[in-house]
Amino acid sequence: MNRKPRAYLKDRTGEVIEARLLEEMTVEAVAQANASWRSLVEEHRKRLIAQGAPRAEWPQHHHWDWEKKAERYGGLLSYRFVGVEHAGTVQGMMMVNLDAERCRVPQQRGKPLVYVEYLASAPWNSPLFMAEPLFTGVGTMLVFAAIQLSLEQGYGGRIGLHSLPQAETFYQCCGMTELGIDADYYDLCYFEMTAKQAELFLS
Amino acid sequence: MTSTKRTMTLNLTDAEMNVLEELSRQKDLSKTAVLRQALRLYQLVDARLSAGGKLYIEDPGKKEKAELMVL
Repeated sequence: MNRKPRAYLKDRTGEVIEARLLEEMTVEAVAQANASWRSLVEEHRKRLIAQGAPRAEWPQHHHWDWEKKAERYGGLLSYRFVGVEHAGTVQGMMMVNLDAERCRVPQQRGKPLVYVEYLASAPWNSPLFMAEPLFTGVGTMLVFAAIQLSLEQGYGGRIGLHSLPQAETFYQCCGMTELGIDADYYDLCYFEMTAKQAELFLS
Repeated sequence: MTSTKRTMTLNLTDAEMNVLEELSRQKDLSKTAVLRQALRLYQLVDARLSAGGKLYIEDPGKKEKAELMVL
């Protein structure tokens, strides 16, 4: 099984548009994307403070600094930064670790998987920042890319991740197995995709 | 997701090949995948140690940590 990722997104009108998968982003490319996202994130944060919005309503990943992550992990073979680009702008990014975790779902326990450390759409594509996101499908495309990476590593499409509460519904919709709250990892819910689920997702 | 790949010949002793085959079987990975994973982990550990970090193995029962020496 070795299929090309579906490189498309949808715009506000529902029209399908072409996008490009950035398979191995450099530290510089991640930093550049981070800079293009940062001002919107900051503006949003200031607006929430001005409105007196409770912290529970803030985007839970608003503090992620992709540039720092890239500086720390870029260049190490175990880590990959993957992006989705359209019109010369990075529409979403993901950092994965190829070696950190092993499967927890009983039928594949102990087998290697691709662990998604961080995954985010650009703020203009996120309903957490914008009432009307510019493009949809970015997260789906990144999950697709993670599965593809897993297949390339010989991991059978198996992927795993800890989800922020605001993203749990998305991973449920991806068809991943929800293994509940992980008390050893910030009380976040752990999700895992089996080889079979990956096959279904790709189809 | 296809980086350009280069081919090399690897000479292993019987003992080394046996270990590689056993790891390959245990992990349900090809021998190439096992070696690629080993290289990634070696680079990661080396980078952390070069930065002054230490590598420990923890006994889950006793909660004792033993420092692992890596050359």
